Amino acid sequence: MADGRAAAQLSEAAQSELLDICEEQFAQLEKLQNEIILCEPDFCENPQEQSVKRLIATEAELKQWSTVEPQLLAENSEILLEAGKEEMHKLCSELEMVASCFEAKRDKLKETKELILQDIKEKIQKMKVYQERLMESLAYILEKHVPLPQEDSSTNKKKKNVPHEIHENLISLNEILEILMNKALNTPHDPYVAIDDTFWPPYVEMLLRYGIAVRHHENNFKLRLETFF
Amino acid sequence: MSLLKPFSKLPGLNTANILLVESEEQFQQSLADVLVEETSVTVNVRLAKSLPLPMENDESRPRIDLVVFIINLTSELSLQSAEASLKYLDPGYFLGKVCFMVTNARNASAPAERLDAVRKLAASLHCPLLFAENQTPDGVASATERLLTILKVAAGLVPIATGLYVSNLTRCTLPLDIDQPSFD
Repeated sequence: MADGRAAAQLSEAAQSELLDICEEQFAQLEKLQNEIILCEPDFCENPQEQSVKRLIATEAELKQWSTVEPQLLAENSEILLEAGKEEMHKLCSELEMVASCFEAKRDKLKETKELILQDIKEKIQKMKVYQERLMESLAYILEKHVPLPQEDSSTNKKKKNVPHEIHENLISLNEILEILMNKALNTPHDPYVAIDDTFWPPYVEMLLRYGIAVRHHENNFKLRLETFF
Repeated sequence: MSLLKPFSKLPGLNTANILLVESEEQFQQSLADVLVEETSVTVNVRLAKSLPLPMENDESRPRIDLVVFIINLTSELSLQSAEASLKYLDPGYFLGKVCFMVTNARNASAPAERLDAVRKLAASLHCPLLFAENQTPDGVASATERLLTILKVAAGLVPIATGLYVSNLTRCTLPLDIDQPSFD
């Protein structure tokens, strides 16, 4: 059914054509209406048993739609132009609505992304601080209880009877551990550290005995950090 | 039996007629006030407490495009009245021209079984079920909008979409549709 249009903009010819189309459609409508009224009314069945009727009606509608062919609203180009313009306006406003909706969504997502990033950064910061403190504590403890072996006095609490041939640049246990840790973290595919004279053998033995480090299975002069408990 | 028939009269031009049936006669008034403010279409609102509608108005009454049953979940009478009224509708209405609207669904005094019963009813009739908030103007406005969408389709004012087609898409379904009649 053609909708009421602002007829003021159309020429007389277009107006009269529109009116003719409307009259045609209305006549058609009245004809169909009469057919409907004359149709036998349904017996009053239980409203719950609608499924079959619904199926039949839907199928009939489907058939109708599949046979209908697209046709021009009217032959007059003026009418078509006006109708087209109106459709375009409607479409534009609907699309604008959709666009603004998606923009709002996008902004909201960005915001949540920002928040999450912030969160993670803070967590990383906290972890870094924690790790610093742990390392400091470790260094402190080692310094107090496991200092570098001195040449003259046996300050090694393990009291190993090792001949004091210590003239090399021995590194402290702290440093040994640091070397092992760094190697394991930086090159996980090759965590092995080659032992040289700067590693005081008793320390090495201690680490091996307590399962903190293990030797390379082929090369006894290589050592790596082990996951220990 | 005086059934309300969907296609016994000619439709009006660019008009949609809606019938709001509510036994408590409250929400229908506020809905009606907002419904008539619609500008793109002439909306005529008829109010009723229940069906059947009085015979005296039969001649002057226009063709009703959509019948909305408003059910207050806090009152058993509301549901019973709506169920009783269903019998006075021609079965042709249930192909897309009936809609159920429920209020006070979040109210603590509304038993869950009642909502289930309404759901079952709407699902068995293949009708849409809308939930509305009737206390605030915002609630009334959004309920009106949704009704208008369905009304425009039921009145044939939306190209391509028909009441039957849309009701197949918007019908109420139960979580476990075991009891539904199948199309065998």
